Amino acid sequence: MISHRDSNAQRISALDEQGEALHLKPGMGIADARAMHPSIDIVEADPEADRRLLEGLADWCDRYTPLVALDGIDGLFLDVTGCTHLFGGERAMLDTILSRFFQQGFDVRAGLAATPGAAWAAARFCGDRIVLSGEEETLLAPLPLAALRIAPETRASLESVGLRTAGAVMAAPRAPLARRFGASLLLRLDQALGRLDEAVSPRLPVAPLSVERHLAEPIVQTDDIEQLVGRLATALKTDLERRGEGARGLALFLFRVDGAVNRIAVGTSRPLREPQLIRRLFHERLTALEQTIDAGFGFDLVRLCVLSVAAFDMQQGDLAGEVADDEADIALFADRVRARLGDGAVLRPVAVESHLPERAVAIVPFSETPRRTTPPRKPDRVRAPMTIFPPERPIRLFRAPEPIEVPATEMPEGPPLRFRWRRALYRVARAEGPERIAAEWWRQPPGDDAAATRDYFRIEDADGRRYWLYRQGLYGGASKVPPRWFLHGVFA
Amino acid sequence: MAMTAVARETVFALRRQIAKIEGTLPERLQAPAGALVDAGAAADVSGADFPGADLTIVRRGPAAALPDAFLPVGAGRLDAALSGGLPKAALSEIHGQETRDAGAVAGFALSLTSLILKQAQGLPVLWVGTSEIFHEAGFPYARGLHAAFGIEPGQLVFSETSKLTDALWVAEEAARMTALAAVILEIRGNPQRLDLTATRRLHARALAAGRPVLLLRQAAAPEPTAAPVRLIVASAPAAPRATVAGPLAGSIGRPAFTITIGKSRTALPGQFTLEWNPDERVFDERRGDERAGEERRAENPVAVVSLSRGRKDPAAAAGAVLAFPAAGASGSPTTRDQPSRQQRATHLGPRRAG
Repeated sequence: MISHRDSNAQRISALDEQGEALHLKPGMGIADARAMHPSIDIVEADPEADRRLLEGLADWCDRYTPLVALDGIDGLFLDVTGCTHLFGGERAMLDTILSRFFQQGFDVRAGLAATPGAAWAAARFCGDRIVLSGEEETLLAPLPLAALRIAPETRASLESVGLRTAGAVMAAPRAPLARRFGASLLLRLDQALGRLDEAVSPRLPVAPLSVERHLAEPIVQTDDIEQLVGRLATALKTDLERRGEGARGLALFLFRVDGAVNRIAVGTSRPLREPQLIRRLFHERLTALEQTIDAGFGFDLVRLCVLSVAAFDMQQGDLAGEVADDEADIALFADRVRARLGDGAVLRPVAVESHLPERAVAIVPFSETPRRTTPPRKPDRVRAPMTIFPPERPIRLFRAPEPIEVPATEMPEGPPLRFRWRRALYRVARAEGPERIAAEWWRQPPGDDAAATRDYFRIEDADGRRYWLYRQGLYGGASKVPPRWFLHGVFA
Repeated sequence: MAMTAVARETVFALRRQIAKIEGTLPERLQAPAGALVDAGAAADVSGADFPGADLTIVRRGPAAALPDAFLPVGAGRLDAALSGGLPKAALSEIHGQETRDAGAVAGFALSLTSLILKQAQGLPVLWVGTSEIFHEAGFPYARGLHAAFGIEPGQLVFSETSKLTDALWVAEEAARMTALAAVILEIRGNPQRLDLTATRRLHARALAAGRPVLLLRQAAAPEPTAAPVRLIVASAPAAPRATVAGPLAGSIGRPAFTITIGKSRTALPGQFTLEWNPDERVFDERRGDERAGEERRAENPVAVVSLSRGRKDPAAAAGAVLAFPAAGASGSPTTRDQPSRQQRATHLGPRRAG
């Protein structure tokens, strides 16, 4: 017995057959049910877990068709157009699905029809029925109004005027119906009867290309999976070549015998179609995931999907048939590291036009940057004048400037005499500066206080180490906040 | 005197034996005074004259076949001590004694990278490090690298991993690639995972690919590794900026480094002060007695905390055992090339605890 809280009272939301046999009904108060039968076992409803279970089932249903959509909290739509012959026809497919669900311990009802509406009605009100195209009307006619997927208020008002079955609604003149009950009623009716197309929006985007292999004997070993990936990638290569494209994103679906589905995705920095390289990428990913993937009793269906594609530039090899491409090597290296350690493992700096040192270089994941493209020169922008002596910049910059204690400066606006950083005291031997860098007011949200100006100093301590310090704020300025000192970077 | 001569003979023979067995690395040996190279060894031993020293260079194996097996640092005495420069296809260790020396260590490594990039134009450089070191010592700043070492931002690839094992894996995978100009691996301290085996793997891959792997180790004690060369880098006070009217008092000029040879098959322990010229991208050796910084070092009030000593087989302290007098110092051995007492003490004996 499962209870849920509805309008400040615990009510039964679902119950099993034994509960039904006790004449309990969904919607009944838990207190009443307890009064009738004190020994009933009540569990709090967990919509999140139900949702997860339904998604897991949807994942599993991916093996029959890539177009799987969730229907409310307790249903799934499978668009099996063009898929049935792979499983031996509609009847055989429906039987397979039902029997496999039954073996997994689920009590399911299925209907198969040419329109989603008719299939919905067949599944919920007839059970295990295949509706041929054109028979929708005969199916729907004797069914109650709920089979039309209409809102409860519309249903109640239709019943109040005496239209109690779908057939009665179909027989009624359309114009008064639309006027009185809104367009949605006729829309649902037309969709169920196939007069209007209804699209099932799939849960996952459909991959442009995918290859799969059903296995008579489930596989468990990672090596076997990798080998299979190599074979599937070989099959993909022909398709990709025909389209003149390469894969930018790939996903491997491992369907476990007991219904769980693992989805393993890898991304590439440049279009890829070589089976060996695809296999190596998945090798890294599988190595990284070895602990988290539970093979259980084995995988009986392995599918390799191309999630996104990009145009593939063909390259001519030399006479020996070798293409030496350093960039491709590095891209592949970056992809492998990414597959194993995640997106942030390979980074590259990108220069940004900014005065603020921490903004002047953006560190982005390797795959994001366009390779070897110069930024388009804007015609209305004059190039920044080249300075003969560019300002000195440190070679290492702290991610967050580290606060330092400065007990004394020689002059109020001058460099410190000594400072304390990470609990060690440093004596300043020589200093250069200041270099004043103002905050970027055009980036501040309106109404915000202006960020303090920074005065940067190059400092050499008594040991010859060179640091980059700055003082944030000015002495005796408009704000009463005393200036603070930070260490921002180190020089060579 | 006779005892030392016999001891030298023995050491000489042993070194030659080692060179024969290993066969890959060049071995510079100083022939014992008056000793003649016997005829049997002459086939293996090719003599090369170094100015002012009676030196013999033993080169065997592939290293002899490659004329550019070395990266000349550009400072005459250091190159001579390393018998031609840093090995190009090898793992080289660059140590900094404390984490705050990270700027100098990275600066020296990047200067070497800049020298490498002069020959391997346009190839990218991979810098691998753990999050810990990038947090403690700062992330490499592309603008500064471009200004000081001429490395374009597009040539830089970083790899940041949270775990040391992952960093080692990335470095190993990168070391075998010929599409990278150099791999810089930065590690802090003496982790257990970075042992002889791990460094040997890195070294073997660098040898096979013919690309250098620079292992930057911050705040690490010397320990046995497979790297043929270990340099200990500290920053040296910079010379004032040169202007038309002479040096500008109080200004901070080009970066300078104090390099100590911590380990080398060929060199004696020595200390050198190099100055990096960012405009020409070459090293200038500073020969004057700019030792003012050394004396000032004593004033530094920072307590030096001792590193953990829990590891087995700590390396013998560099520079403790001297078999031969310093290279090129005929007659009076200069003390200038030797590590100062204070510097040696930092990685030798037990230190003061903070």
